[in-house]
Amino acid sequence: MRKIFFAMAMMLLAPRAFAAVGCDLNDPDRDAARLFPGATYKTSYLSLKTSGGVPLLERVEARLGDKFHGLYETIDVPYTLYTMYKGGAAAGYIHGVNQKGEYGGIQVFLALDKAGAIKAFYIQKLTSRAAKALRSKEFAAQFEGLTLKDFEGYDPVSGKAPAGSKAAAIKPPAGAGADFAAVLRAVKKNLILMDEFVYSKKAK
Amino acid sequence: MPGDPVIKAAGLTKVYSRGAEEVRAVDGVDFEAFPGEVAAIIGPSGSGKTTLLNMIGCLDNPSSGSLVVGGRQVFGAGPLSERELTAVRRELFGYVFQKFYLIPTLTVEENIMLPGAFYKAPGARDAYEVMKLLGIERRLHHLPGQLSGGEMQRVAIARALVNSPKVLLADEPTGSLDSRRTDEIREILRGLASGGIAVVMVTHNLELARSADRVLEIRDGRVHKAK
Amino acid sequence: MNVYAIAYKNLLRKKTRTALTAGGIALSAWVLATLLGFNRGYQQGLNRDIDNMGFQVLLTAKGCPYEAATLMLKGGTGLRYMPEAVVKTVYKNPEVDRVTPMLMHGVFDPDKGENGAVAAYLGVDAGSFPEMKPYLEFKQGGWFSDNNAYMAVLGYEAAELEQREVGDKMLIPGVDKEITVAGVLKRSGSQDDGTIFLPIGTVQNIFNRKGLLTGLGIKVKKGADISALENRLYDLPDVQVVSMSAVKATIMNLVNSARVIVLGIAGIALIIAMAGVVNTVLMSVMERYAEIGIIKSMGAMPADIFRMIWTETAVLCGLGGAFGIGLAFVTARLADAAVRYFLPYAPNGALVALDWRICASAFVLIVVGGLASGVYPAWRAARVRPLEAIRIEGEQ
Repeated sequence: MRKIFFAMAMMLLAPRAFAAVGCDLNDPDRDAARLFPGATYKTSYLSLKTSGGVPLLERVEARLGDKFHGLYETIDVPYTLYTMYKGGAAAGYIHGVNQKGEYGGIQVFLALDKAGAIKAFYIQKLTSRAAKALRSKEFAAQFEGLTLKDFEGYDPVSGKAPAGSKAAAIKPPAGAGADFAAVLRAVKKNLILMDEFVYSKKAK
Repeated sequence: MPGDPVIKAAGLTKVYSRGAEEVRAVDGVDFEAFPGEVAAIIGPSGSGKTTLLNMIGCLDNPSSGSLVVGGRQVFGAGPLSERELTAVRRELFGYVFQKFYLIPTLTVEENIMLPGAFYKAPGARDAYEVMKLLGIERRLHHLPGQLSGGEMQRVAIARALVNSPKVLLADEPTGSLDSRRTDEIREILRGLASGGIAVVMVTHNLELARSADRVLEIRDGRVHKAK
Repeated sequence: MNVYAIAYKNLLRKKTRTALTAGGIALSAWVLATLLGFNRGYQQGLNRDIDNMGFQVLLTAKGCPYEAATLMLKGGTGLRYMPEAVVKTVYKNPEVDRVTPMLMHGVFDPDKGENGAVAAYLGVDAGSFPEMKPYLEFKQGGWFSDNNAYMAVLGYEAAELEQREVGDKMLIPGVDKEITVAGVLKRSGSQDDGTIFLPIGTVQNIFNRKGLLTGLGIKVKKGADISALENRLYDLPDVQVVSMSAVKATIMNLVNSARVIVLGIAGIALIIAMAGVVNTVLMSVMERYAEIGIIKSMGAMPADIFRMIWTETAVLCGLGGAFGIGLAFVTARLADAAVRYFLPYAPNGALVALDWRICASAFVLIVVGGLASGVYPAWRAARVRPLEAIRIEGEQ
């Protein structure tokens, strides 16, 4: 009993300073195995602030075609990068971002291969009238094989992709409305961040 | 002989033990001092004259012998406590020392008034009056460090006089002074005696001793010569 | 001219030494006053912080989880209810200052994680709940004022997870009701950070729990006997009492242990200062041995000499003590900042709370300690025999 009270006391007295919250897999062991079968993973934490600061933020915003906005989309948000290994060699990555949706936060995870192509698409959390459709296998399947190049022309502000592009071919579920656009913005942002954090660095 | 003696010592003896050896610092000395007289105790160093003065001045208990001061039996009827000796001292004696022992942070006036801080005799004198008597009234607010040796000794004498003692005891009062200042002090002591005080001094200075009314020469603790 | 004046002038004789000793005493007085002030300030701050926790007693229906975290672990099930009438019953107790009714509800959200999870909502009374939690501050917006409004206040972490700002909509899973965000709280470091607060009437309506409560927060009057109240509440049928006073007692136990250490340090500071006083005064007595003898030959009684030396000690301690306490006042805010820097947790408000009582106690302690340490040197001085002093002149 004393120990419980001690713990409660410590909780009360704990230092009140926290960093911004990022986007982690709820159950990394299970989720990673599902999104990247047969692989093991290593976790690392990155942020725009520590990786390049304001110039990097501005570059990401320019590539996204939209500003970071709101209370929570800030330069110091920590991003959790799961690097996947198969047989001791890096086989790909899992990375998620938070995105503001119409009725709540949307957490969009992408499993990417070594070249940057989407292997799996997973909405870990969302609140939407079209939640069921957006989290369906059919919807997720449309993203498989797509790369950053396919989203480069997508404009998150207007929610439009250039006609004929692979992004334009993704079909919105009925009634998804603003949340569909939010998901596409999250995917594009996720791919840009991965390019900045991982792929463009590798290319150099 | 001018009346009754203010001090009457008979057979005063002081014995110290130095290991197994007994040292008789003072050995059966008789001594008398009268009001209005200057008495000098002389003798070579280590002869026991200061020990004698200390016993006469009730600063030390004798091993044997008797002492009557101002009609009061001090020694000879059992030893006195420190407290009782203090009471006798402050009522009857004024002391003057070779090194003056003035308190350096107190002014001349404050040094003279110092005894009054602890005991005010019924016939205590006014500090200014005593200073005037000794010619140091203009040095009232000076600190001892600003005075000459002669002036310091006058202040010490003034301090000894402020509680109107019957006996002024002076241990080498001119020991630290040059001959001119010695003459001044001699005149002062003589003047005090003529005012009715008994002055008893221990001195090395034969010139000073010659001016005394009574001289007691001590050698090896015994009276060698008495004049 | 009197003994006190002589004592004072004696201190002026060696000004540097007097100043250094008084400085040492001042330092101890400073440490003592600051530590006593800290002891008081910390306790006051902690009391205030604990009071800010809001209610000291939580009443729930027997077996009902009282934390959202427990509710979620139980998969949103296991809630039990008390009738709203319990509010009136509780108010009958004289110790009760205010009460705030609460209704928790968990909804299964299939779109959370791979297999869905529970979303918990805490219905609170718009009138009484904010008053009970005055420490909750808003990052955006404010509390809802209508108990039946479709509004929400989100703890910071809940808001961040849901990416919600004031004016944004929320959808309660399963019941197709839209709620507007009225406020986002700043981080408080408590479980409130992860909570979604709704008006209690709204929760009762949406989830069909009219007239029911899951919890009742009770704020007790200042100085009231909490355990007596708790004992009476235990007698109510089908309720359980969750006491925060036990938490407070535990914290107080921790603080009291720290207090013993703090007072120990203060004691050591005092002892060091006193050792300094003994040393200085004794040294000064030794130096004035002859002089003290001469004063005694002039008629000073042992008691006079004792008083003179003791007065010197008292003046030294009095001046040093007063200066040190003054210094403690001046540096209280600085000490405050230092404590905050070094301690992992410090309550809000002034940590070093000095008042006249603390200053007076510190001063009395220093002076009494000083006088105690002056006894030996004064006794030594009182025992000086005039003859010893005169012997210094040497046997002629």
